[in-house]
Amino acid sequence: MTTKINKPWKKWLIAAFALLLAGVAIAWYIFTEKFTDTNAVKADYTVNAMDFIKEFQQNTRQANDKYSEKIIVVNGAVSSVEMADTTANIKMTDSLSGSYIIFAFQEQHLAEAKALKAGDKVSIKGSCSGGVHSEILDVDNISFKRCAVNK
Amino acid sequence: MKKTILSLTLLLATGLLFAQKKTTTSAVISFDATTSIDKLPKAENKTAIASLDTKTGKLAFEVTIKNFAFSNPRIQEHFNGEGWMNSDKFPTAVFKGDITNLKAINFSKDGTYSVTVLGEIIIHGVTRPIEADGSIVVSGSKISTTSAFKIKLEDFGVNGGAIAAGKVSKEPTITVAAEF
Repeated sequence: MTTKINKPWKKWLIAAFALLLAGVAIAWYIFTEKFTDTNAVKADYTVNAMDFIKEFQQNTRQANDKYSEKIIVVNGAVSSVEMADTTANIKMTDSLSGSYIIFAFQEQHLAEAKALKAGDKVSIKGSCSGGVHSEILDVDNISFKRCAVNK
Repeated sequence: MKKTILSLTLLLATGLLFAQKKTTTSAVISFDATTSIDKLPKAENKTAIASLDTKTGKLAFEVTIKNFAFSNPRIQEHFNGEGWMNSDKFPTAVFKGDITNLKAINFSKDGTYSVTVLGEIIIHGVTRPIEADGSIVVSGSKISTTSAFKIKLEDFGVNGGAIAAGKVSKEPTITVAAEF
């Protein structure tokens, strides 16, 4: 007799508990989600460094629309390795205009950046953050985040 | 002959002047807007451009907003979105200022010097005056600058729902570090 009276409440309780669990699972997923290792992500474009810089110089807005937040493989020669805090950034610079591409590496690939040196021919994959004109340097610069040496 | 000597002197003088302006393209700017209920809104940008003129004390930073790297993809997306930094419309943040106590710094003598910088900061297309304390470390030919300061997001027209909900600090801490 008691069981019959409580049945609707039990159903509500189970449904509420299931909803709560689903909510916790979704929140857990959102809060613990991390970026995938860039080397495991398929590239949207593969470009040559100097052609890439020229594309931004010719039409920055169009190039930003095309490449921003896309995963891109850039092939070129390292012009310099710059220390940034305890990590290293890789630069590919157009010697004529001074414009450059700069790559900040993903945590698990930091050692790859430090192993590179000026003059090395390299293929780097990363997330393009777009290009801007620097007032300080009066050159265009295109920056990348979460980079890895392309394998 | 006199003209040649004069030209060479001018060239040398120009070269020396340029040498006083030091630049880097790998300055580090961190942004920490975490709160007690959300530890995710923080990021780092290691490709900021900075310049320091040791003669005039002029200091400048430029940073590409989209190159702030967050650990969480969703937070990064929100940060760049229209409700927050709107980085498509306002792709950079800029600081330009002067060291107010330049005479207290000896750039040719190793040491740690406390500095105050007064200038203007442009975030989200809004320009505000700012004064910040920091330090300059001279070690041989290397000059390192660091500063940490807070900004009020509402001063720069950044008013997302997450801020009102207490998930994002109303006054995040900005840390800047550059090595010249």
